Amino acid sequence: MDILSLDPTKFIDLNAMAITFLFLVGFIGGLVSGFIGSGGAFVLTPGMMSLGVPGTVAVASNMCHKFPKALVGAIKRYRYGQVDVKMGLIMAASAGIGVQVGIKIQQIILAMWGQAGSDLYVSLSFVFVLVFVGGYVMKDAIKCARCGGEEETTALAKHLQKIELWPMIDFPRSGLRISLWFTLPVGFATGILAATIAVGGFVGVPGMIYVMGVPGLMASATELVIAFAMGLGGSINWALHGMVDIRLVLIILGGSLLGVQLGAIGTTYVRPHMIKMVMATIMLIVAVSRGLALPTYLVKLGLMELPDSTLGLLKNVSFASMCLALLVGSVIILGSMWNGRKAQAGAAS
Amino acid sequence: MASSQTTSKPIGRTLVFGALTAAFYTGFFAYGDAIAAQFAQGSFWAAGPIATVFAVSYLHGEFASNLWATLGISAIHKETRKTAEATKRPAQRPVLNA
Repeated sequence: MDILSLDPTKFIDLNAMAITFLFLVGFIGGLVSGFIGSGGAFVLTPGMMSLGVPGTVAVASNMCHKFPKALVGAIKRYRYGQVDVKMGLIMAASAGIGVQVGIKIQQIILAMWGQAGSDLYVSLSFVFVLVFVGGYVMKDAIKCARCGGEEETTALAKHLQKIELWPMIDFPRSGLRISLWFTLPVGFATGILAATIAVGGFVGVPGMIYVMGVPGLMASATELVIAFAMGLGGSINWALHGMVDIRLVLIILGGSLLGVQLGAIGTTYVRPHMIKMVMATIMLIVAVSRGLALPTYLVKLGLMELPDSTLGLLKNVSFASMCLALLVGSVIILGSMWNGRKAQAGAAS
Repeated sequence: MASSQTTSKPIGRTLVFGALTAAFYTGFFAYGDAIAAQFAQGSFWAAGPIATVFAVSYLHGEFASNLWATLGISAIHKETRKTAEATKRPAQRPVLNA
């Protein structure tokens, strides 16, 4: 094969620190993904960019690691009886449309307000969705914990399931029957959010739980099917444009394929409300992180004035708190797995 | 009732897939920059990264799965959730008894 030289504007030089960082973040991101069905992407893309990787290559490479990770996680959780493939594929179809609409919206905003405007839009989306949805999920997780960990179908979901609107679809795996028309907006919203903040599951998983009435364990597992489909489609698109840095992808996968399986195993050790608890915790911390990044974009757009030193500090705290979100999530996951194992060993003896 | 799997640890499979994964990664990164540059040519070279990650998914995925099992970390099999057959409701439209 001809030895081509790497285009330095697209591909960074790899050193030991970069490799270690990507492997570790890949592992932790995988752990969280395997457990709650999404996550990791929002740290990996800015993480790669902090190593000097251009934005488009970071997004493309992240996506190219996401779909194999989701595939491995989905297969593992399918074996535990947690994946509703039919639901995943139906939702993936509307999510695909949502992704295209989301990309279009991004392009319009980029054309109208430039990069700073686009970054502001992305960050505002983060904050709005994560605070609203994360707060609701946290409230529900605490309620579930107080009721002994048993989940209840929401009144909204029960009401929607009763509405006979053709075509009605049976989902025997999830134990529900609902009109296609109520699955479409959840899938569509997942796609739009994925195109905007790279994590569609933050609306997809709660949407499946609270709008459609899918149990939390199955919603987080089924989300992996949607993530696989969206990720594969997006990756092919990026690869056609030559934007994937396969070296970064393989390093991240080195960690994430270990993590995602551990996270999947972890779901069998914990009570169902823990998935909501971990998801909500991560969402709320990331909301704070993105909130801290807002002033930077407001200053760039001339809507606010702040000294450079303050902006620099906010940027660092924002990135650190994003990493903290993942760390806290993984500590909760590993801690509850540890407790689960101890309880199991105690029951067996 | 929860019970853990009582299968023997798959040490052999872990070692085999570990060796295959290590060989794959070593071979890849020996020419990593050139391969990355080649795959970034776009067009039909898009098949390069896609095929590579599917291969790694299999090799490294199997290694990771067997590694956790060998370390004694495996799923607890609780009673699987009963999948209720969704009941078909009777037709809502009034039936004309002509």
